[in-house]
Amino acid sequence: MDYGIYQDKLTRIVTDIARSHSLWILAYGTGCGAIEVPATMTSRYDAERLGVRGAATPRQADVLMITGYLTVKTLKRVIRVYEQMQDPKYVIGFGSCAVNGGMYWDSYNTIKQLDLYLPVDVYISGCMPRPEAVLEGFAKLQEQIRAGEARGATKYKDNLDYYRGNQKKIIKNWDFPDYNW
Amino acid sequence: METFLEKIKDRISVNFELDRSSIDVERKRVDVQIKKEQIPSILRYLKENMNFRHLMHASVVDWLEEGKFEVLFMLWTPKEKIRVFVRTKLDRDNPVMENLDMIWPQLNTYEREFKEMYGIEFTGLVAPEEFILEDWEGPPPMRRDFDTEAYAKDVFSERIGREDAQDVRETIAKRSGEVIPDFAKKHSR
Repeated sequence: MDYGIYQDKLTRIVTDIARSHSLWILAYGTGCGAIEVPATMTSRYDAERLGVRGAATPRQADVLMITGYLTVKTLKRVIRVYEQMQDPKYVIGFGSCAVNGGMYWDSYNTIKQLDLYLPVDVYISGCMPRPEAVLEGFAKLQEQIRAGEARGATKYKDNLDYYRGNQKKIIKNWDFPDYNW
Repeated sequence: METFLEKIKDRISVNFELDRSSIDVERKRVDVQIKKEQIPSILRYLKENMNFRHLMHASVVDWLEEGKFEVLFMLWTPKEKIRVFVRTKLDRDNPVMENLDMIWPQLNTYEREFKEMYGIEFTGLVAPEEFILEDWEGPPPMRRDFDTEAYAKDVFSERIGREDAQDVRETIAKRSGEVIPDFAKKHSR
């Protein structure tokens, strides 16, 4: 009897559980929302008990948090950072500005739909979201990972033309390197 | 204090041809308006001869109805602790001014911002093309006739669900029975 298929499935379940308890956030504050992250990390809310903690570089990180409004100029850097991160990687849209532009809905430089440019797994609403909301967002992400639903990196790879098209629509002077995944 | 401010105002108006001048005793402030050709000399005079050594701030006001840009320099003296505001008005269609960063080097940064956000040209300014905006192709965004909402609708797609959003200014005015003046209606954004 061939156990290969069961082994693969078992391996996936185990790795997903392991991954969900080891989420390293990239410390990249795009907007004012980054101020809630230290409060979430430190002793009162202590996100590390869920396995959530900071990472120093994109290549060591699993989670990219878009904390607050995202300008076109920052989006360029965020895409660059996201593409340097290694699979598995997840994106959290944080705050009402990341959800739909928030109070910058008529700004000339703020994007309104983050999921056109990056595959977003979880949105956390609020302006600002309290650390409780942030932790709930992480719990939701962990659920998704354990259920095998958080496959943003695969989605990005498979639909690269769609994302690239949207990105190129608003980023002029495109000078990104071609990555080979 | 009042006589002292008057004295400073008189000393400036003796040396320069002012369009308008006033004093504000409460805020310890002398306010002068002058032609743009005289700006370098008055700033240099205030800095070197009258001890207004500190440039607090420089800013631009867009007087759309008059067709003018008002450039404002705020100076401060550490000894007497009073301020001098030097204003000048530029033609809105052709806003050109002389470069001033040899007087205060930090004016270089302000001038770059004015150039990018209002389109004011400074002759002789040596600075990189871009300041804050990157790859910007539209009109200078801080001008009051630049319609940010139309631009945002044109460039960025909006998420569904905000259609019932009300105009904040109009809603508040309606609720409190306030009458919005005509000039504020058109360019309130």
